[in-house]
Amino acid sequence: MENAKENVMASEAKFAKIRKRRRGTDVLFRNLFRIAGVIAAMMVILIIIFVTSRGIRPFLGSAEERVNLKYFLTGSRWRADQGIYGLGFVIINTLIVSVTGGLLALPLAILSAVLITRIAKGKLSIFLTTIVETLAAIPSVVYGVFAAGKITVLVRDLANVFGISTYGGNSSLAVILLLAIMTYPTMTTLAVSGIRAIPKELDSASLALGATPTQTSFKVIVPAARSSIATGFTLGLGRAFGEATAVSMIAGNALAGPSWNPFDITRTLTSTMLTGLHETSGVDYEIRFSVGVILMFVIVSMNLLVHAAKRRLEKKGGLSA
Amino acid sequence: MKMKKHFMTILTVILALAMIFTVVACDKKPDEPKTTDPEPVKTDKPAEPTTQASEEPEPAGDQTIHVYTRDSASGTREGFEAVIGFKDKLTEKANEVASNGAMAQQVGQDINGIGYVSLVTNFAENNLKPLNYEGVEASEANVINGTYTLKRPFCFTTRAADDYKSDDQKAIVAAFLAYMTDSKEGREVVVAAGGIADVEAGKPWDELKKDHPIVDQDNSGLTIVCGGSTSVEKCVKASLESFQGIAGNVQFKLDQTGSGDGWKRVLGDDKDGPNASDIGFASRNFKEDKEPVDTAMRSEEFCQDAIVAIVHKDNPVSNVTKDDLFNIFTGAAATWDEIGK
Repeated sequence: MENAKENVMASEAKFAKIRKRRRGTDVLFRNLFRIAGVIAAMMVILIIIFVTSRGIRPFLGSAEERVNLKYFLTGSRWRADQGIYGLGFVIINTLIVSVTGGLLALPLAILSAVLITRIAKGKLSIFLTTIVETLAAIPSVVYGVFAAGKITVLVRDLANVFGISTYGGNSSLAVILLLAIMTYPTMTTLAVSGIRAIPKELDSASLALGATPTQTSFKVIVPAARSSIATGFTLGLGRAFGEATAVSMIAGNALAGPSWNPFDITRTLTSTMLTGLHETSGVDYEIRFSVGVILMFVIVSMNLLVHAAKRRLEKKGGLSA
Repeated sequence: MKMKKHFMTILTVILALAMIFTVVACDKKPDEPKTTDPEPVKTDKPAEPTTQASEEPEPAGDQTIHVYTRDSASGTREGFEAVIGFKDKLTEKANEVASNGAMAQQVGQDINGIGYVSLVTNFAENNLKPLNYEGVEASEANVINGTYTLKRPFCFTTRAADDYKSDDQKAIVAAFLAYMTDSKEGREVVVAAGGIADVEAGKPWDELKKDHPIVDQDNSGLTIVCGGSTSVEKCVKASLESFQGIAGNVQFKLDQTGSGDGWKRVLGDDKDGPNASDIGFASRNFKEDKEPVDTAMRSEEFCQDAIVAIVHKDNPVSNVTKDDLFNIFTGAAATWDEIGK
């Protein structure tokens, strides 16, 4: 009897020990993950703090070197050689080329996604998916070399047909075409996974009600996948806004603007940041951080805008996915 | 149904008209390319660029000059603007490119383009024509003999002979300058880094070395400090790196901030400040009145930097003057007709 009691007590003590140890491990790992999360969040905060703290310097310096903040945000001339930094037209140019490029790629991406998921069968579908994935994996500098050698020539010849002279094809139009090509794979990939996630019943129900496969694709499946398509559009726009290397190779970096004519040279936020970065110093260097702050701001507001549009669309339509 | 039919008919007609218009516009172009030109007066001018034989026919719509410039941090741009004398006056319509290679490629694709590159560029490969400047062909020989004048000198000056930290410091600076400026080996390094110097006229280093015994001892405790022009940095850095190997591992520090600081940091106000240097560089001659160099241990031009104005190979222009370039890059001349052919 005594022995058994002792045994029970001993095993209870043992379990308590194990439980305690387990709880210890649990706490340890929970804290490890917490630290990982904090580090990830810190990165974002650190980047914002670093870029912003450098970015405000040009507006705080001594009187003769200070850049006028109002002119910086609204100005229409960017003359680093004269110390004139007006970013207003650059923001407009960036919005024009990125949004137009994205809108150009969107229908293509949706049609491709429908082709890959619903029309092409077996090997063809896999083949097309591989092509899209390859497009997404090509580094931007390779796109840039291609654009500088081929897209600009195409645009130049097109302009010649209309009798317009271009800077060897360096133009807003060339940038738009390039960005359409570069954002297309992101949008397509997201649209494909969105369509694949739609329950089979939806498809069957539509067909059973007498809709043709094409009607089903465009009136049922695509609207049902609009959430993924919108996400793809946002990510694509992000790439379009952030693309620096390839864009600065063909933008022409206009000194004044905005450029409404598609055959005119343009200047984007990223090309402004990148061009001459390695050789410059002083205000001309610091101001690139200010441009970076504006760029982040533009991208975030664009994302919010797309999300708001998406939410409105979802409220309107009955379906959600 | 009827509405739809009507709509289709109208659409077809519009499309057909658009196509005809395009075809006609295409055909018309070579005959009267002046219809789209903003400058109406130009009847007495010879051959349009379009009439030149070309592998890829380019019906240039007009003769508007397209100005290409390097980014504002570029040394080539600084040199070009300084020689032509249009600093801060660059036309608003300029296309800004990021590198020498991009400049060559883009002007090579634009029949109405004009830009400038360093002399080492491969012109034929990029469909470019290097322009003669004031009637002189751009070549290394013409730069050295002084006839080609779209160039600038790279100069240096030093502290006064009695103003060095130690005799060793003074000796190592003198040895380096002898290597970079006088020796065949040093000049080869400078030329490889993009400068222009007469390599053949240099003396062998083995001979010059006899006057500088300091290079045979261990110099890892000594540091040559350079300041001044940023444009010279590539040449000077290459020279210092190759000198390090033959001069007892001497250390060096380059703090290039602009030609204005070259004289200031060795002979001027900053010569005893925190930025004091042993050698000051300038990508121009030192100003006799404001920057007297008579007290310096040594003060000389060590190489030259030549810039070439370039156009598309099918552009009929083959020679430009300083005034031409000034007018083009400030926007005063807007079309090729205004440039002497």
